[in-house]
Amino acid sequence: MVTLEHYLILSALLFCVGIFGLLTRRNAVGVLMSIELMFNSANINFIAFSKFITPEALTGQIFAIFVITIAAAEATVGLAIVVLMYRNFNAVNVDKINFMKW
Amino acid sequence: MQIELSLLSPQLFLLLWAILVFVVDFFTAERNKASLAYLSIIGLVLTAIISISSKQGETFGGSFRADTFGLSFNIIFLGSAILTVASAVDYVKAHLKHQGEFYGLILLSTVGMMFLSASGDLLTLYVSLELATISLFVLAAYMKSDLKSTEAGLKYLILGAASSAILLYGISLLYGISGTLVLDAIALKLSQMPTVGPLFILSIVMIIAGLSFKLAAVPFHMWCPDVYEGAPTPVTAYLSVASKAAGLAALIRIFFKSLASTSMQWVPLLMAISAMAMILGNVVAVRQHNIKRLLAYSSIAQIGYILVGFIAVSELAVTSIILYVLAYMFANIGAFMVVIAFYNVSGSDDIMAYAGLSKRSPFLAISMVVFLLSLVGIPPMAGFIGKFYLFSAAIEKGYYWIVVLGVLTSVISLYYYMSIAYQMYFKTGDDDSPVRVSPTMAVALVVALAGTLLIGVYTQPVLSAISGASSAFF
Amino acid sequence: MIKYSYIIAFLPLLSYVLIVFFFSKREKTASGIAITAVVSSFVLSLIALFETLADHGPHIFEYEWIVIPGLKLPLSIFFDPLTAVMLMVVTIVSSCVHIYSLGYMHGDPRFSRFYAYLSLFTFSMLGLVLSGSFFVTFIFWELVGLTSYLLIGFWFEKKVASDAGKKAFITTKIGDLGFLAGLLVLYWAAGTLNYSEVYHQIEENQIPAIILTAAGILIFCGAIGKSAQFPLHVWLPDAMEGPTPVSALIHAATMVAAGVYLTARIMSIIVVSHTAAMTIAYIGAITAFMAASIGLVQNDIKRVLAYSTVSQLGYMIMALGVSGYTAGTFHLMTHAFFKALLFLGAGSVIHAAHTNDIQQMGGLAKKMPITSKTFFIASLSIAGIFPLSGFWSKDEIFASIYHEGHYFLLALAVLVAGMTAFYMFRLCFLTFTGEARDYHVYEHAHESPKTMTYPLIFLAFLSIFAGWVGMPWLEHGYSSFVYFEHPHHAAANYVLMIVGTIAALSGIFLAYQMYYKRAIDPVKMGARFKPVYTFIYNKWYFDELYMGTVIKFAYWFMEVLYRFDQGVIDWFVNFVGRFGMFNSRVWQTFDVYVVDGAVNGAGFMTRWFAGGLRKIQTGAVQNYAFVIFLGVVLLMLFKMI
Repeated sequence: MVTLEHYLILSALLFCVGIFGLLTRRNAVGVLMSIELMFNSANINFIAFSKFITPEALTGQIFAIFVITIAAAEATVGLAIVVLMYRNFNAVNVDKINFMKW
Repeated sequence: MQIELSLLSPQLFLLLWAILVFVVDFFTAERNKASLAYLSIIGLVLTAIISISSKQGETFGGSFRADTFGLSFNIIFLGSAILTVASAVDYVKAHLKHQGEFYGLILLSTVGMMFLSASGDLLTLYVSLELATISLFVLAAYMKSDLKSTEAGLKYLILGAASSAILLYGISLLYGISGTLVLDAIALKLSQMPTVGPLFILSIVMIIAGLSFKLAAVPFHMWCPDVYEGAPTPVTAYLSVASKAAGLAALIRIFFKSLASTSMQWVPLLMAISAMAMILGNVVAVRQHNIKRLLAYSSIAQIGYILVGFIAVSELAVTSIILYVLAYMFANIGAFMVVIAFYNVSGSDDIMAYAGLSKRSPFLAISMVVFLLSLVGIPPMAGFIGKFYLFSAAIEKGYYWIVVLGVLTSVISLYYYMSIAYQMYFKTGDDDSPVRVSPTMAVALVVALAGTLLIGVYTQPVLSAISGASSAFF
Repeated sequence: MIKYSYIIAFLPLLSYVLIVFFFSKREKTASGIAITAVVSSFVLSLIALFETLADHGPHIFEYEWIVIPGLKLPLSIFFDPLTAVMLMVVTIVSSCVHIYSLGYMHGDPRFSRFYAYLSLFTFSMLGLVLSGSFFVTFIFWELVGLTSYLLIGFWFEKKVASDAGKKAFITTKIGDLGFLAGLLVLYWAAGTLNYSEVYHQIEENQIPAIILTAAGILIFCGAIGKSAQFPLHVWLPDAMEGPTPVSALIHAATMVAAGVYLTARIMSIIVVSHTAAMTIAYIGAITAFMAASIGLVQNDIKRVLAYSTVSQLGYMIMALGVSGYTAGTFHLMTHAFFKALLFLGAGSVIHAAHTNDIQQMGGLAKKMPITSKTFFIASLSIAGIFPLSGFWSKDEIFASIYHEGHYFLLALAVLVAGMTAFYMFRLCFLTFTGEARDYHVYEHAHESPKTMTYPLIFLAFLSIFAGWVGMPWLEHGYSSFVYFEHPHHAAANYVLMIVGTIAALSGIFLAYQMYYKRAIDPVKMGARFKPVYTFIYNKWYFDELYMGTVIKFAYWFMEVLYRFDQGVIDWFVNFVGRFGMFNSRVWQTFDVYVVDGAVNGAGFMTRWFAGGLRKIQTGAVQNYAFVIFLGVVLLMLFKMI
């Protein structure tokens, strides 16, 4: 039997993988993908809670659909900026970009 | 379920107007694009009028609520947008391509914020927050061939999206604990719970972290100086006020409404954040040479002051935050307007370049001094009254040490703000050609000056206008 | 109009803002705005005066300013006959000075700034008069002090001028400290600083007498500073380094009278507390006598007038000290007109002669007919000659002192009246009559332009007639308008009138003999009474006394701190060398090592700290993300512990 706890642990793990990717990936596209993982871990939470805590209402599942939309929008803008970055810096490595500091 | 769309009329009107701006942009010749700025201002002013005159109430089952609190913040968002657009006309014409979209995106972002301040559940709140933020990602990277702008956009996007994910995770946990997304219902549910578990703590920490990113409060402020420096200056001005105000509106909606019964849990967290913001913002600002970076650190410090009032969690806290943000709006956008006007002529954001500005443009110099004094909190500027209220709210609840810290760090802030005044008034620069200020900019500056001074000397009308705002919570 | 009387004060403020922001480059427009504003204020004040004549009030209006739970700071207006009279005085003199300055300041490089300052001053003074609580009065009181400082040091290129500005600022601040302390005492006892509420509580005997005495004397300290009373009178003569119209407006007619006004406002305390009353009366008397004696021998035309001002202010304070509310404020009004006239006349003379030294003048009456005539009128008025303004107000003061039975003070007052007449006519005779002592000065002298002489004529008119409203025979004169609690309508006392006139006439006669007829040689007189002469010529050695005690102590204290700072070894090594030069270096070194050291130390710490902290900002986006997660973890830990 898969319980709420299983889902929560899965989502926590997914979230941590996302964080790990965000902090270690060099490639900007990889960083964006890691952020997507974090969003999706939250989605798992929403759906799991929706199923186990409020089975009569669909709020959590609807929230997840909204999040997917938003994540798509965010990815669009993110990829556009990555293209811009490739044009200007001739690289997609985020660790190359630190002109502004201190 | 009765749906009353008329309550949404300001938001919907501005949304349509933003689309109108995009459409008109197609049919406008390149040399006439500046007229789109005026078109946007007209739309914003009309929206403000509609907001003030439209009725209050709630609809969509409590997901959307039009009340005095939301109205106060809407006026702040609209005010910052108007001032930003007015100050941006020359800058945009000279430095940016695709002028029409620029104004359209600002309007869209404002729409998002206006939905945000009116949201009655976490879903509306989150979606409108994203609408406001994603437009700003684009705006930050708007100077397409400029390396700094691209870098700003990238940093803002990555960190913004990551914070958004953290916020979302926090929200999902809160949903799991309370079983609902409606703010009132969460409050009810939480008040029935005898104790709080670690999961709840994790959820509020994550919500605080996600929203603190919007506020640029320490330690979630790292993006702030870089993005402020790299983004086109009008966008920076808008970011520094409207975006922060939006974060505050969300924070107040969630914490004063849903989580008020658990304030014992989160007040220490916010107090720590406030103290760190005041110290770090004010101290690091001392060593800045770029005026946009300096103002970025100063804005971090300002959020620290606002949180001093926030932790009081009282009627006075709501009133004082709105009052302070209003004062901050005039002073901070005003200061950025001077920066824009100066950049338009000199092409420099270096504080050293401001040497001798009092000779080159007495009007800009004195305006800057007024805005900076307001930011320090010197009477009779608006900032003084605002700070006075914020600190009284904290004192009322007995948080003395943080007020002392606030006053002490304000003294440090006097040093770096006045070093700008020192450059302008007591140094002579190489260039002494007069700095011309365009009429639109001059009008915007006068409005900001008037706001800064009027709120400072005659506060009562403003106070009575926003006094109803706290009734949504207490 | 009374209800909207704040407009009276705000017009000059508006003018200040307009000049500073928009017309600093356009001199004509700037002066035009300032004059329009102040004259409009005058007209509005006149309307308000008539309304007050119909209904004495006091009219009280409150405007909410800051209201939060536990603290209420309203802006209030307290409008009674005294307010109306003060408004008239301030706006009339200010209008005259504004117009006069058109000529006097013509060609000054900071012409518009001068008008901006004049407007700001007028605003603060009107605000002070209108305000309905001690607290707001105090704010305007400080603002008035600030603008006075700006105007004294207006020609800051002159070191004496900027020094005088500083001296005025610091000396009056000492008094203000007392004022503030008095307010705190009063607030602690009464729980409010509103005039009407404080008066009410005193009337109901809700405040113990001992506290009232303390509060009264402390608040009076403010008046001592601002009205240049003994022992803080030293700043006013030096303040004469400012432009002469400023001296006329601020240091003769209005600002220095603010101290008298404040003393009048605490009349209800004076009435209750005998100790406070006597302190005030005797400080006034001492000041009146001392300043008059110094005025006898000064040679700088403006300094004579300055000491005369100090002396006359002492008169008013003395009158208030013996509960002569009507007399003190009446003299305040008449004095404002003739003293402003005297100063503006002196300005006209200086404008023509380019010197302040009356020993170099002489015979100027022929060259400057209008100035000399008006100056004589003012002198007759201040001397108290029937039937000019000064006669009536001085007589009123004598009458109230006599009424209270202070015969010693009365004798002193009559003596000072004689001295006043003497030094004023010494001044007149030396300046305007006799032979030209400096041919060069005489040759270049000329009558001033119309913008300067018209205000003189107008003020001369007031110097003659303004006092008639206070004739003792009038049924509804001044005494039934401005009074404390009950109109005090004394019958005319002919003996006092005659005594006063005799004193004045003998003063004039003596001056006539010495400086017109030359029947008595002033130099020989000086030689005969050499010790006295030297003593008063050196202004009773007050500056030297302060230099020798207070300032020397300050120097000594600096020295002690300095040595402490330097440490034993350093001190031993440098002992011999430093000993010789410490006199000149103490101030400077103290500044550099202790004050700057402390400031720089704090600054250095901050900068160093900032340097470390800003290194966190590496510029790499993943480091930023790391800090965010670290923040989440730390907050979590912070909460769990």
